Amino acid sequence: MTTLPEFPAEEEVRYRALQNLDPQGAGVLDVLIAGLHDESWRVRHAAAEGLQRLPRPGEVAARLVSVLGERGETGARNAAAEALAGLGGAALPPLVALLGHADPDQRKFAADILGQLSLRAAEPALVQALADPDLNVRVSVAEALGHVGGHHAAHALQRLLGDPEPLLRLAALEGLTLLRTPPPLSELLPLLEDSRLRRSALRLLGLVPQVAATERICRSLASPSRSVREAALSALGTQAALESMRRAEVESVARAALRQLPDAAARLAEALEADDVSVRAGALLAVAALGEVSLVVPVAEAAREDRLLREVLATLGSLGAEGGRVLLVSMEVLSLPARAAAAEALVDLVDASSVTALCALLEWAEDDLRSVVVRALGRTRSPDAARPLVDLLGEPRLAGAASRALSALADSCRAVVLELLEEAVLSRASPEAVMALGRVGGAPALPMLRGLARDADPAWRAAAVEVASEVDIAVGREVARAALADEAVAVRVAGVRVTGRLGGPEAGALLRSALQDEDVTVRRVAVEAVGVSGARDRAAEVERLVLHPDGGLAVAAVRALSRLGRASPRVLREAAGHPDAEVVKAALLAGAQSPEGVALASSLLSHPHWDVRAAAARVVGDSGGPESLVLARQALEAESDALARRALVDAVARLSRR
Amino acid sequence: MARFDDSRPEMTLEEFRLLRDHVYSHCGILVHEDMKFVMERRLWPRLEALGVSDFGAYHRFLRHDPNRHAELEAAVESLTTHETYFFREPSQLKAFREELVPVLERRNARSRRLRLWSAGCSSGEEAYTLAMLLRDERRFEGWDVEVYGTDISRRVLAMARRAEYGPSALRATSADLLERFFVPAANNRVRVRDDVRAMVSFGHHNLLDEAGSQLVTKMDAVFCRNVMIYFDQSARRRVLRILRDRLVPGGYLLLGHSENLLNLGADFELVHLRGDLVYRRPELPALLRSEER
Repeated sequence: MTTLPEFPAEEEVRYRALQNLDPQGAGVLDVLIAGLHDESWRVRHAAAEGLQRLPRPGEVAARLVSVLGERGETGARNAAAEALAGLGGAALPPLVALLGHADPDQRKFAADILGQLSLRAAEPALVQALADPDLNVRVSVAEALGHVGGHHAAHALQRLLGDPEPLLRLAALEGLTLLRTPPPLSELLPLLEDSRLRRSALRLLGLVPQVAATERICRSLASPSRSVREAALSALGTQAALESMRRAEVESVARAALRQLPDAAARLAEALEADDVSVRAGALLAVAALGEVSLVVPVAEAAREDRLLREVLATLGSLGAEGGRVLLVSMEVLSLPARAAAAEALVDLVDASSVTALCALLEWAEDDLRSVVVRALGRTRSPDAARPLVDLLGEPRLAGAASRALSALADSCRAVVLELLEEAVLSRASPEAVMALGRVGGAPALPMLRGLARDADPAWRAAAVEVASEVDIAVGREVARAALADEAVAVRVAGVRVTGRLGGPEAGALLRSALQDEDVTVRRVAVEAVGVSGARDRAAEVERLVLHPDGGLAVAAVRALSRLGRASPRVLREAAGHPDAEVVKAALLAGAQSPEGVALASSLLSHPHWDVRAAAARVVGDSGGPESLVLARQALEAESDALARRALVDAVARLSRR
Repeated sequence: MARFDDSRPEMTLEEFRLLRDHVYSHCGILVHEDMKFVMERRLWPRLEALGVSDFGAYHRFLRHDPNRHAELEAAVESLTTHETYFFREPSQLKAFREELVPVLERRNARSRRLRLWSAGCSSGEEAYTLAMLLRDERRFEGWDVEVYGTDISRRVLAMARRAEYGPSALRATSADLLERFFVPAANNRVRVRDDVRAMVSFGHHNLLDEAGSQLVTKMDAVFCRNVMIYFDQSARRRVLRILRDRLVPGGYLLLGHSENLLNLGADFELVHLRGDLVYRRPELPALLRSEER
């Protein structure tokens, strides 16, 4: 072992000394290799880290491989392995060479580290190493293949399933699970008979989307062994996630199996507390299959793990109105994330009997939860929900949600809602009441809306202008025209938006001054309104905004011109040069189907922003001719971003068929 | 099965990534790839509130709208629902109380002032827990003691200030502690006693905001538990620089049990306590000590 005579005595000092080493310094490789042999794991870790930062990683890898051979130096060897795993491709050649070492211990180390490296380039060497005479090496190689992946790896692992050695069969099962490549059912089912392999085989069975697989998994739910039951639950969760279309089928098979188990609910409660997230996911599915309302609280609590939110919502939703009632009275005992998930589910579970409990929740729940409760109240179909919702119109944070909920509630009890809304407007609860009144009240509310469009408060004027056009087009035009000259920005925005929405031959003339408004929000909404209304007479003014430094305004301009059919090649070129990537993407979308657009997209396949390159690839794929194929292929070769690559792969596939 | 609202827009992978990157650049919180569904569900109400039709339009709103800063805060709030409870990680709290508190008492005997920071305090359970621990220690009677809780979410800060909690937050609180530090509140909930509340203050703070961190006084110990897991390496380094800067020399940093400073090259010393590992900002050389504090 190498030692440095002046290595400081105190661990903290040694740790810092290694951390602060200059990677370019003379002799630093020797110092770090010595650090791998330190008595402190922290110092060894710092040395392993430092080695990964050194120049000439090939030389470093060779030195590290030599440390692997130091018998008796367990700490140093493990630290060297850690450093090698962090070196990436540079470690590959010496490790592949090490697979041929005379010492099986060394060969095993090589396989383990190659597995950690997870580089596909190691696949051929590892497949070959499955013929190693030493069992431990072969097991490590099989495990490594699961991490490295590839067609040959999967094929080799499948062959191992027939090996007489159970350890190898086990490693093969685990590897195939990692690769998500199950063998044919006929090869997998016999392995379930071996108690040593059962759990791994079950997990792999989860990847087989067939009823026979589901049935076999469900049989294991009755196992006396908790670990087998958990493996079965994990497999069930995997099955449901494989194809969402199969969820009902999986649930149906699971239901039949679970009904045979007298203690199913207790077992599922236990599984909902499991450490393994995949077990909890399967347990959630099983609770849904069983319709076990008594588990509604632990189901909601499973949402403490964010990754289970989808399953939690699906399961709570499957527990129906009865589940909703239990959930509602349990809200106060739930944790914050569980409450959020429960509230989300309740929106679909409530009925007229839920109003009292929902109102109680409004008394103490957090603001964001209250907004969901408001939505739920709107779906109770109960006239009793109208009053509390109208009262909430006075709370600025909830007024919008309450207004929308009242509109929904009016589908089932319009008269009550309308009466209360009129009261709310007269008592000046909030401008949101005006919006709701217009939507619920319809034409009879117009006189009130006209009056409110002249209200002293701009927020009330804006609301009246917005909603009047939804009730009556002629009145809408009239109040919107007046609003365009209002002194308040909010009212002018409402007037512009309505003018755009209603369109008509005068729209262009009406929007002219708004396009030059002193306020940028009004200008942006005006640009959008020009596009929505089809006011071609304003196209020239909008064209000038394509190069505006405010990206939002420039995007609106490109989109408006596209709607007007005025996104000329010049406009597209100018927009494509805008520094804001959103403007460039708007240009790509605007020109998507024209030859100029395709040419532009081709030139943007090397844009610095990945999202622009992906958008360009989509345009080329949608509208390019066979001549675009070469360009797309070249771009694909150079592309490193996963999403842009995906778009390019799709484009190449489509262009190849053309 | 729930009738999930079909009229709500789905988030494409590209939209997810654009939004995720936007959130990350604002606060360093990294939303992992497998969290697209969660992000979609949590941001839906924001789309609804703004009347925005899809996530692409929402991203453009966050990029361009004059109200984009306020909306970004709202988005971050929606994405950071962190669950916590009183007296979490009891072994660490025990080590703090038995091994660090006496050190802090000796060190601050002259100033008789003690400052703790619960960084990323969520709804306040940790900050109040620390105040309760200190309250239990007779040794600080007559001292100027304050626990400062900060979080990026104004929503959870409002909950922290309200100091009312349900059974879930109390699942690791013994009956004795419940009796001594809480009073009953409506709806089967409890409220933290006023004398404990008086020891705790709260503030809004983005842990990546270097300028904002200057508003935080120098601390004797920082609890930043189960917060780093939401950051990537680079954001963690930045946060640690800021936390170190806000600690007095010799001040302690306590992380969650699943967290450590390995690979971060942070300038902290590892301190082996009997019951825990904690980190310490190195002491200044003697000559410089008088310049601190």
